[in-house]
Amino acid sequence: MEAGGDTAAPAPGVVEDLEDMRIPSEQTEDHGGVHPGPPDPEDGGLEETGSTAKDQPPSLSPLPQSEAPSSTCQLWGPGAPESSPMGSPESGSGGQGGDPTDEDWRSQRKHVFVLSEAGKPIYSRYGSVEALSATMGVMTALVSFVQSAGDAIRAIYAEDHKLVFLQQGPLLLVAVSRTPQSAAQLRGELLAVHAQIVSTLTRASVARIFAHKQNYDLRRLLAGSERTLDRLLDSVEQDPGALLLGAVRCVPLARPMRDALGALLRRCTAPGLALSVLAVGGRLITAAQERNVLAECRLDPADLQLLLDWVGAPAFAAGEAWAPVCLPRFNPDGFFYAYVARLDAMPVCLLLLGTQRETFHAMAACRRLVEDGMRALGAMRALGEAVSFSNAPSGNAPAYSVQAVGAPGLRHFLYKPLDIPDHHRQLPQFTSPELEAPYSREEERQRLSDLYHRLHARLHSASRPLRLIYHVAEKETLLAWVTSKFELYTCLSPLVTKAGAILVVTKLLRWVRKEEDRLFIRYPPKYSTPPATSADQAPHNGLFTGL
Amino acid sequence: MRKPDGKIVLLGDMNVGKTSLLQRYMERRFPDTVSTVGGAFYLKQWRSYNISIWDTAGREQFHGLGSMYCRGAAAVILTYDVNHPQSLVELEDRFLGLTETASKDCLFAIVGNKVDLTEEGARERPEQEGCSPGRPSGGGAPPTLPKQVRPEDAVALYKKILKYRMLDEKDVPAAEQMCFETSAKTGYNVDLLFETLFDMVVPTILRQRAEGLSQTVDITSYKPPKRTRAGCCA
Repeated sequence: MEAGGDTAAPAPGVVEDLEDMRIPSEQTEDHGGVHPGPPDPEDGGLEETGSTAKDQPPSLSPLPQSEAPSSTCQLWGPGAPESSPMGSPESGSGGQGGDPTDEDWRSQRKHVFVLSEAGKPIYSRYGSVEALSATMGVMTALVSFVQSAGDAIRAIYAEDHKLVFLQQGPLLLVAVSRTPQSAAQLRGELLAVHAQIVSTLTRASVARIFAHKQNYDLRRLLAGSERTLDRLLDSVEQDPGALLLGAVRCVPLARPMRDALGALLRRCTAPGLALSVLAVGGRLITAAQERNVLAECRLDPADLQLLLDWVGAPAFAAGEAWAPVCLPRFNPDGFFYAYVARLDAMPVCLLLLGTQRETFHAMAACRRLVEDGMRALGAMRALGEAVSFSNAPSGNAPAYSVQAVGAPGLRHFLYKPLDIPDHHRQLPQFTSPELEAPYSREEERQRLSDLYHRLHARLHSASRPLRLIYHVAEKETLLAWVTSKFELYTCLSPLVTKAGAILVVTKLLRWVRKEEDRLFIRYPPKYSTPPATSADQAPHNGLFTGL
Repeated sequence: MRKPDGKIVLLGDMNVGKTSLLQRYMERRFPDTVSTVGGAFYLKQWRSYNISIWDTAGREQFHGLGSMYCRGAAAVILTYDVNHPQSLVELEDRFLGLTETASKDCLFAIVGNKVDLTEEGARERPEQEGCSPGRPSGGGAPPTLPKQVRPEDAVALYKKILKYRMLDEKDVPAAEQMCFETSAKTGYNVDLLFETLFDMVVPTILRQRAEGLSQTVDITSYKPPKRTRAGCCA
């Protein structure tokens, strides 16, 4: 799919085909259960089992025809000479760590870069962007080289690296990865990074800035937002799910309580209020939408996830915040105004999204109504119990232990229901237990995340989608299964037998069905009753564009 | 319901320490640096008055909201970093214009923060309350440098502001009274700054009350018939 007809260089297509070819062969290996091969020190993943030797030769030759690409390969390739042709002049700046010749920098698993069309660095996940001007220049050259042929570059496969390019208006986003993530997954990540940038600036103002001055240094406007981007990229590796499944995670809560909170949010309105969200630790408690503003538009789960990540920022830990925010999927060119506050000194967070810029005090009054209502419901105690359960390093994220399922051998899982009634589809959700030992260390979490990403990429491979994968890895056994009713990824102990795994999954499915009212928002409070004053407000009334 | 009687706004370039100053005063601690998003609202009880304080983001990204936070403000705290002359320049270039929406008799304080990083500040350092954990520079005291911005520069800016606001020096507090040098890290002069301002704001509040509704469309001092929500849809 990636390299299909629209890539200029035909070679990547070949590589892609070979990649797909690999899957069936591994499939049979997996089913055979003959495992594991000699552990690969670097990746420890699945694909190294014997197939490594086969697929290296073709992937070495993806870019034979142009000079620039091959020099990039050298930059990233493990065998690159120390003095790579792009080596930036200020070499030896080990402190900065952004020098492409710096070993630490080069050994990072995944780099993400954002640059302007003119090649001006905007963001780099590692190192300082100043040291990367030359590298980013190469990226711009690659893109414009292919562009000059009336085409667009999408991905380069170079040995164990994938380079994924995404052009969004005047911004160019690049991922350079040797994680097992597929190009499609990497592209999803780049889209999320772009959405994050748009959410603080709006697409229109980014376009306007660069139309006005092509070599503008966008870092001036994004200063302070880099941390948010870092956190977003870290979460993919440390706590997979939201981006992978395109769904939000809910706080497990008894249904009567959740319904009562939904009704409370519906009741507490303010002029121009468009969306009310109760969340804790980046997870959704409940949300209510305003009819007049969002009636025609479904709230995209990506937008909701972006808000959940956003309100988790340390800046919102104190005081009552009032800040503009843009929902890129809803309207990439306009701002909402967000009221964000922690309730009752709890980690529970209330977000009120309005269309009018001057309504801070009305929102603050609305918050007090919500707070009073929650106290009357005893909701703080109920939520407090959910929160105190957790010992996650992410802080106060409410979660449950995998023990709750009562299926020995089950270590972790991701479950996304697909059978939600149509009018609820606007809120894709998933559930997963807390990551417990042996997945408490960063590297272990990363490894599990890699495994989930691999399985997801195979289930959703465009050319050859699979429904069921049973995979015996070095340290665990995994079973991934997609049906019309759910999408499920389970991580089991390595000693489980195939029959045992099926038993565990059956148990898990039964448990989820029993608990689904608690785990998911089955009946989201979709629309709030319109306040009397909002009838005459045009939906876009308060959507200010630009800065 | 708590309703603010007067408003104070903190303005200044990013990383000069606005949030740290306020946290030092409100919570008696020097927290990890966080980059403020938009603006954060705090309420402080001072005598029988509720004073609202807006801690604003210094980033250019949120510049558009600045005048909104300043609307009807009784006092504006213009903050700079004594080690970065540019941060003082920015006050005049970027932030002074935002104060147009402030109340007519708005007070201005000019605050040079981070004196603990200067040679003079290092010598003074009055109350060395345990440096909070998570201080990024970690370990020993950071290197100190001669102060880059002198108090005279702040006084000069203060006089410029008076001219800009077309105020007579005789009608407003003297420059010496309104220019501060502080350290949010050690707490040096922080209480003095906020409490001096609170005391000065009280007469403004009383005057505004006497005059009835204030001159601008100010939802903070507007008295709606039911709660505050009616304030903005009128």
